[in-house]
Amino acid sequence: MRLAQFLNATCVGHFESVMRGEAGTREFLKVECKVFTPVPSNTRSNLHSSTSHRQSEAAGSATTVLTVQGLIPLQRPPCPFPWTTIMAGVGDEIDEVQWCFSQVKGAIDDDVADADIISTVEFNHSGELLATGDKGGRVVIFQQEPESKNQPQCRGDYNVYSTFQSHEPEFDYLKSLEIEEKINKIRWLPQKNAAHFLLSTNDKTIKLWKISERDKRPEGYNLKEDDGRYRDPNTVTTLRVPIFRPMDLMVEASPRRVYANAHTYHINSISVNSDCETYLSSDDLRINLWHLEITDRSFNIVDIKPANMEELTEVITASAFHPNQCNTFVYSSSKGAIRLCDMRMSALCDNHAKFFEEPEDPNNRSFFSEITSSISDVNFSHSGRYMMTRDYLSIKIWDLNMETRPVETYQVHEYLRSKLCSLYENDCIFDKFECCWNGNDSVVMTGSYNNFFRMFDRGYRRDVTLEASRENSKPQSVLKPRKVSSGGKRKKDEISVDSLDFNKKILHTAWHPLDNVIAVATTNNLYIFQDKLN
Amino acid sequence: MYMVYSNQTGVSTRKLVISSVKKAKYLKDRRRRAVLLRMECAFDAQNLISISLRKIQSSRTQRGGIKLHKNLLVTYVLRNARQFYMSKNLSPTPRTQQYEDVAAARETQEYLELTGSFTELANDFYCNFGGMDSDTWHCGAPQQHSSCQSAEVAHQDASACAMVPPSDSDLMVSESFWTCADKPAWESHAPSSQVNHKTVLDLDTHVVTTVTNGYFHSDCCAQPKQSLGAQWYAKKRRIDTSYHIVEPEFYLSDFGPVPCKRLRTDEDSHSDSETLDSTNISNLISVLGSGGLSEFVSWQHTDLEQIFASQTISLKHTLLTGSGWTRAIEAF
Repeated sequence: MRLAQFLNATCVGHFESVMRGEAGTREFLKVECKVFTPVPSNTRSNLHSSTSHRQSEAAGSATTVLTVQGLIPLQRPPCPFPWTTIMAGVGDEIDEVQWCFSQVKGAIDDDVADADIISTVEFNHSGELLATGDKGGRVVIFQQEPESKNQPQCRGDYNVYSTFQSHEPEFDYLKSLEIEEKINKIRWLPQKNAAHFLLSTNDKTIKLWKISERDKRPEGYNLKEDDGRYRDPNTVTTLRVPIFRPMDLMVEASPRRVYANAHTYHINSISVNSDCETYLSSDDLRINLWHLEITDRSFNIVDIKPANMEELTEVITASAFHPNQCNTFVYSSSKGAIRLCDMRMSALCDNHAKFFEEPEDPNNRSFFSEITSSISDVNFSHSGRYMMTRDYLSIKIWDLNMETRPVETYQVHEYLRSKLCSLYENDCIFDKFECCWNGNDSVVMTGSYNNFFRMFDRGYRRDVTLEASRENSKPQSVLKPRKVSSGGKRKKDEISVDSLDFNKKILHTAWHPLDNVIAVATTNNLYIFQDKLN
Repeated sequence: MYMVYSNQTGVSTRKLVISSVKKAKYLKDRRRRAVLLRMECAFDAQNLISISLRKIQSSRTQRGGIKLHKNLLVTYVLRNARQFYMSKNLSPTPRTQQYEDVAAARETQEYLELTGSFTELANDFYCNFGGMDSDTWHCGAPQQHSSCQSAEVAHQDASACAMVPPSDSDLMVSESFWTCADKPAWESHAPSSQVNHKTVLDLDTHVVTTVTNGYFHSDCCAQPKQSLGAQWYAKKRRIDTSYHIVEPEFYLSDFGPVPCKRLRTDEDSHSDSETLDSTNISNLISVLGSGGLSEFVSWQHTDLEQIFASQTISLKHTLLTGSGWTRAIEAF
């Protein structure tokens, strides 16, 4: 049976019992199992396994129960897709993941205040917390409610956990320039104790924030009242020992470190190292390595500023540390190249260890080739073997062992290729889309215009376009796949390219590291979708 | 040249030029259609150039400062459009008489618009001035930068200093330029006494560089008063009263190949500048054209580097103060 074959090919020895279905019947059994990856190895929590399975029984007489239990192995199998959805059946119908609306956060008005525009979205390592940053310098953290006992299959909602002003607008008097308070990136640190730590950055300054809970407070001071007023010492006649009493839960966010004055140009990325002690920050021309504890100095590890600024041909657009190797990082450039550097080679990593670039297709040459080939985001896969880059029109997945070309290329919105001139005029061509992996590196997701976002399943070579809009915002309503027609003939339910709203763009998306829950940011709203559980 | 634009090979998919496309639909002659398409591409190139220049101009007043990445990409588009236009001009396509007038009229109109924006841009970027015509140039109007305000003041000072008959020009003008320019805050905004000189001070490396007619050559370190005599050479500046209305052909003919930045000796620059000057082109545009369009980007950005002399080592500061300028004060 196909299931057994599949299991043997991918996860040998990890499943305890499989029961065979009846072969030869027309009715077939559909079983879908998902096995999730363990938490990243640099956390102290034990590896845990999580399986969910759903089974649908074929109508008719012969029904077979299939039970699958999985145990996450300590070593990842060598095949590229070890954890993908396992399908079984005599027939060849494969169930696709169905995405449902879960929640939407943010104002309903169409009139969007500039400060409310979401500029970054990031899940923490457990997926319990979801942080968003906006153009007004605020950070809002949502926490997932624990699963209720009444409905074990339902995932908890995300509710506001903490809100704080991370960055304020600054004015640089010498250059007479305003420094925007917009949060460019948020990165969570792996959790080491009860408090949560995150790094948030604007164009010039990075801050380390500690988010902690307080649920008790001391009461019974001798020299001051409970409300804080000081007592006259002469009125104190007895002594008492203050004790802690419970109070309403309060979530406090406090800045623990401020890393400033290290970047001349605008910071575009930060990335925490897998050693959890250092992180890098990159601007247009330089990358600096910081230690989390030390704020007054950083090491410059990449500097591509030419001696003569006239010779400037490319800038750094994104950078990231390898998820497992603490000496390796990559940075992407505006020319569409990615350089992988090994910090063990030299202190200044201007010479790359690997250089990834795909030669340009001469047929697609246009006035805007340099713009469309500029990489806007680079992300390692959770396994660390692949990395994904996003340029204006496509997603490319690179194997770190092959520098000549990507192993996979997905066109996100190829229908825009003929519109580049108008997109240049209205500045949309400069939009920087981000992309993300799912927890088991089998699906990648990115945003597009008209509040569409796209997912590409690497294993099954499927892709889907979905829309984040308030119209589909009934709880648990399944999202209908959308389609954009590029040719002349427009089928029913398709949208023509000309009627796309280019002001509604999804630049920031995030995928829960362990579950099929995604956070998609439109201009000022945050949508949370999850896959359908029966 | 490697440029193969997709529009040239097939049906135009651009929606920009609507009226001519509609016209093309009625044409039965394919040759005429092809000609119109080529003219559309040329029209697009001009359009792109003007749009790009406007973008660069507006980026100066954007909140948050100049975005290096975006400006770099815009200069690439400018370069591509320019190259396309040059290649088209050098290999003229056969035009049918019928449409030539229409196209020519359109093109001329675009040229004028283009030069209009170009001139404004040049005004903004180069704070240029000249002897007798100092009043026709001014240091770009809507500037939020106080640094440019002071540059404007200094510009007037410098022009006062430079108020000598052009024939007399030698080192005196440049000296006065340095005197006026001796203010750290806007050092890299220092207006050039010679319109084809532009000074750039990279405070990262403390190297003073001058650009002459678009050719870049670096001077010694930033010891302005001492190095003046050797490095600066004055030119007879012919006041071209017509330079604010640039002839389109001059504008285009000045465009050389892809901006190649070269380090030139003083002699070379000197002779080159003379020849370029003689073509009666606005010197700003020549700087912009032959020296590479990234030039003005770099010019804007050297002033970004005022503060970060050694960018990796910084002072201790308290958490509460936004200490962006404590380091700056320290640097000076």
